[in-house]
Amino acid sequence: MSSSTAPQLRSRLPRLAEAAVERARLTVVPRRRTRAPRIPFVTLVSLLLLGGVVGLLLFNTSMQQASFAATALEEQATNLSAREQTLQMELERLRDPQRVAEAAKRQGLVIPLAPAFLDLGTGKVTGSPAPATAEGDTRITAPPPTRPPELDPDPIRLKTRGGSAHTLDGVGTQQDRDGKPRLGQRDQGRDNHRPR
Amino acid sequence: MRRTGSLRPRGRGKRGRLRGSPLVRLRVGFVLIAMVLSVFSARLVQLQGIDPKSYAQMAADEGTVDVVLPATRGDILDRNGEPLADSVDGLMVVADPLMTADRAPEIATFLSKRLDVDYFATLERLRVEDSRYQYIARQVPATLATDVVDAADALGYEGLWTQRDPVRSYPGRDVAANLVGFLGTPRNDGAARALAGLEDTFNGYLAGTDGEARYEVGAGNRIPLGDNTVTEAVDGDDLTTTIDRDLQWYAQRVLRQTVLGARGDSGHAVIMDSRTGELLTVADYPTYDASDPYASAANDGLYKSAALTDVYEPGSVEKVLTLSSLIDAGKVNSRTRFRVPGVLPRQDRPIHDYWEHGLINLTLAGIVAKSSNIGTVLAADEFRRGQLRNYLTGFGLGHRTDIGVGGETKGLLPSGELWTDQTEDRIAFGQGLSVNAVQMAAAVNTIANGGVRIDPSLVHGSALTDDGAEVGTDHVDERRVISEDAAWQMTQMMERVIDPEAGVAPGAAVPGYRVAGKTGTAQRVGPECKCYDGSFTVSFAGFAPADDPRFTIYVVVHNPRNGGGGGSVAGPAFSKLMSYTLRRYGVPPTGSHPSRLPVEW
Repeated sequence: MSSSTAPQLRSRLPRLAEAAVERARLTVVPRRRTRAPRIPFVTLVSLLLLGGVVGLLLFNTSMQQASFAATALEEQATNLSAREQTLQMELERLRDPQRVAEAAKRQGLVIPLAPAFLDLGTGKVTGSPAPATAEGDTRITAPPPTRPPELDPDPIRLKTRGGSAHTLDGVGTQQDRDGKPRLGQRDQGRDNHRPR
Repeated sequence: MRRTGSLRPRGRGKRGRLRGSPLVRLRVGFVLIAMVLSVFSARLVQLQGIDPKSYAQMAADEGTVDVVLPATRGDILDRNGEPLADSVDGLMVVADPLMTADRAPEIATFLSKRLDVDYFATLERLRVEDSRYQYIARQVPATLATDVVDAADALGYEGLWTQRDPVRSYPGRDVAANLVGFLGTPRNDGAARALAGLEDTFNGYLAGTDGEARYEVGAGNRIPLGDNTVTEAVDGDDLTTTIDRDLQWYAQRVLRQTVLGARGDSGHAVIMDSRTGELLTVADYPTYDASDPYASAANDGLYKSAALTDVYEPGSVEKVLTLSSLIDAGKVNSRTRFRVPGVLPRQDRPIHDYWEHGLINLTLAGIVAKSSNIGTVLAADEFRRGQLRNYLTGFGLGHRTDIGVGGETKGLLPSGELWTDQTEDRIAFGQGLSVNAVQMAAAVNTIANGGVRIDPSLVHGSALTDDGAEVGTDHVDERRVISEDAAWQMTQMMERVIDPEAGVAPGAAVPGYRVAGKTGTAQRVGPECKCYDGSFTVSFAGFAPADDPRFTIYVVVHNPRNGGGGGSVAGPAFSKLMSYTLRRYGVPPTGSHPSRLPVEW
């Protein structure tokens, strides 16, 4: 295009300007080769690379560290919860009603049979208060195991010439257990085996 | 210089011959390298081409661990949240005999000192041949087990380690053991083995679901960013019962003293909240220690709730049901007069009273107060056919209470052709039918609750049994069996039983309170002959305060050998339990005067 229009343009321009046009003509100049400095770029890339690697390493290390800590803490938690449970068990053992009752009994406490209430507002007493006595108390421990008859034979009684009976067996007959009841008034006879 | 100069070419010539020409060397080198590389590539093809997944799997497995996240078994609690059964992390100590055999005596000494295990048994286990897995101790509290194994490591004993083995503890020992049951030695994987009681009935409800975790480890630590899947464990639910642990404890002690004192075989004591039907106590004697169930061979038959699983004939306590039904049916009232002969001849055999008497004039209240069989049968003649049975069914006899205890009996209430006139006569005073103790307590509680029977319950709220039934206080039904007036008349008559002059059970009185109750002494079907063998079942059922009942208590003693009856054996036990319960729950006396209904005319 320019090759076709340039002569037309030239021809149309006044001859006077020909020299100026001649001067203004573009000419090819040799290319100037600029060399960017390499050092900063290489440094940047190396730094990035190094930073990345070191960062990754640090990150990984810290994660490992966290994992170690987690393991240690988990173990500690397990130990502590086991410890807690052991203490809880100990507590339950101490709170066992049987143990508490035995401890109370050793201090001379008895379970009262007649409940009575004191109204703190009016001072009125309801129920029939009576001092608790050991007599009506309940046996709270299991009776001792009875000896089998083989180990606890009847005492051998010998009649001496004087007629008095002696016991050879020094232990004598077994003592009545204190859990043995005192037979109260029997409301119902026993001789006739009939439903009642 | 020359010399050396002359020597050099010779030496070079020799080496040159050894090395061969460079071309040859190059070729040999290429061949060698090619051979090595082809070995590598063959191996590569083998690894990557042929079944690469299994190798990848093996590599992953190397560092992957599967861990079971154990679900905690739910506790069994009493009504105040006190534990009747709770779970504790436990461990088992396991030995590898291959590693322990050499130093077995030392290790056995150490273990027997620290773990309370038998020295000789341990020694044997540490020396078992061809085994790499021997239990040393099971269900050891976790802290103790880890301490011991750590100490063993420190002493240089190798081949001991621990493994999960949950411990179930029963802090109350024999308290409510009959209801709670127990777990046997866990299976090897640590799963519970429920053997009796609530532990068994609600096994699924209590157990929960184990979770699972899968992750990669390196040197005992979890590898971050490695494979990691976790399914959380679902813990079992707690089972809250309506039992009051302290009251249950006291009832068991009173019952034991009562049974032993009467030289009886066994007994039950049931304490029930009259208004809600909640069972505060279901005690059995004999019972066992749930924390050591195998302590005695005699424990064998005891792993049950005898108050629910055993049947017996209730005797005169049942008259309460017969006579209140009669009043409800409008046939009699508490002042109706009866002429009671000394003997009442009936179709198959004459009926007697327990005491000798001629013709006496008793009111209905007197029949109750004196517990007259003849009077009861005369009164019960007023029933239309089938009416008594309907009432008894209404009171809940012949049906399970379904409170959540396995193996419950429904009792025995004759029906159809078996219900003859003779049967009806006997059933009227409590023979010829069988009940369990909780059933009977619930029936008597109907009178206490103004004629409305309320289902007894053992579980607070709602819980699902393994059989798929929802039980608990949320599922309690009420139904009116007799009118409020009939219940009140019956209550007044039952008060006369406690009266020192009119009644037969003054021993059941609670000082200061109005108490209504009824004795029972029934012929007992012996275990050997399956017939009435001359032994008895004595019982006392009652409630207090009579004019505003809060608690119903039922005490039963089987086969007392001291000649006592319901009033003298079970009555005092009732009195103790009632006064304790009233005090414990802060129920003051109502202050009104007890009934003075005439017993004679």
